[in-house]
Amino acid sequence: MNRKNYTHPNPNPNYTSNNSMQSLHFIQALARINRAASKPTTPSCRTKQIRHAAYSSMAYTSGSRRKWSRALLIRLRQRQRLRARRLLTVRRRVRIVTPAMSLPEEPARAETLRRLVPGGRSMEYCNLLEEAADYVQCLRTQVQLMQSLVDAFSS
Amino acid sequence: MDPTSLVSNMWHQHQQQFPPVGLPPGLVARGDASVEGSIVTDQSAGSRGANARRRRRAEVAPPASEDESSKLVSTSSGNDLTDSEAKRIKVLKSNEENANTLKVEAEADSEPDNKPSEQNAASPEPPKQDYIHVRARRGQATDSHSLAERARREKISERMKILQDLVPGCNKVIGKASVLDEIINYIQALQRQVEFLSMKLEAVNTHMNGTGIEGGFPSKDFGAQTYNPAPSLAFEPQSSREYNQNSAPEWLHMQVGGAFERVT
Repeated sequence: MNRKNYTHPNPNPNYTSNNSMQSLHFIQALARINRAASKPTTPSCRTKQIRHAAYSSMAYTSGSRRKWSRALLIRLRQRQRLRARRLLTVRRRVRIVTPAMSLPEEPARAETLRRLVPGGRSMEYCNLLEEAADYVQCLRTQVQLMQSLVDAFSS
Repeated sequence: MDPTSLVSNMWHQHQQQFPPVGLPPGLVARGDASVEGSIVTDQSAGSRGANARRRRRAEVAPPASEDESSKLVSTSSGNDLTDSEAKRIKVLKSNEENANTLKVEAEADSEPDNKPSEQNAASPEPPKQDYIHVRARRGQATDSHSLAERARREKISERMKILQDLVPGCNKVIGKASVLDEIINYIQALQRQVEFLSMKLEAVNTHMNGTGIEGGFPSKDFGAQTYNPAPSLAFEPQSSREYNQNSAPEWLHMQVGGAFERVT
């Protein structure tokens, strides 16, 4: 199968090692989930766990250098903390996010992009594009990794 | 070439060709003699004397000799010429009072002739000003806000280009809005795929757990020698590293094509 080679300047200096680091994080997380699977859990809960593991392995691999990974980790940790406390009446905290300056030249679809990229609401448009590029790369690697894992298991 | 000697040569030629008309001959002879004396006696005073002489030449020269002198200047060697010209401008401005002694007599009648020579000397300067505003092309604003805004727009388009290279099938799309649409669609598709694949992984894992294989990872994918099926030892760091170094690239590439066809 041919792999498409995208020749782009990668903002990440050690990206080649990050590929394997990301898979390492993810597989470790999967193993943890599997180990904990002796307790009876609903499939939907485990699906969520796996998804969280996927996102957090992405964020861990990217490190705290990127804003999207920081935002993602903070979000996941907050959820974990809430779950750990078992707060039944969880009121969603009103987050104060300083909205980025909306400039007239910024296209209307940028708002959608802000919602998709974690932590994108408070970013400046220029930074948003940069973070989106990094996020897309990590997400793509994650999808490749999960796809290959699924294929390996189901074969 | 020594600028002093150059100028003195020019001066002598000039005097032979155009005898001074506007001034009494005695004045010119006196000025010339005094300058020669200063050159001979004191080398450091030479530039001053030469300057004064240049000054006088410009003043004394009749209007007909303007183009002649410029021809002489243009045919001479370039470096010395620019040096001497620059020095002339500087010295003219700073040492005005020093040169006054020779200049005073001739100043009254030669004021209009003085100006063209200064303009000639100052002519190389205006092109320099064009290089200060490098980024502003013709018809573009040059104040700092516009420059900053232009730099920002350039940065945005560059990042957009990087994103466009990242997202498959985005290179053919024209227009910023549609490119953004493509990027958004791609990210959404990837996120949905993560969700879908985690469901699938969960199903596969439970299936594997149901069949009794603990850990859920078939050992053939990771190399039988490094994989230990006991859950507590399953991800010993050394073995994981080995696996990552040796076999990760191959199986990471396995499904790339299929995944992308589905996404796009």
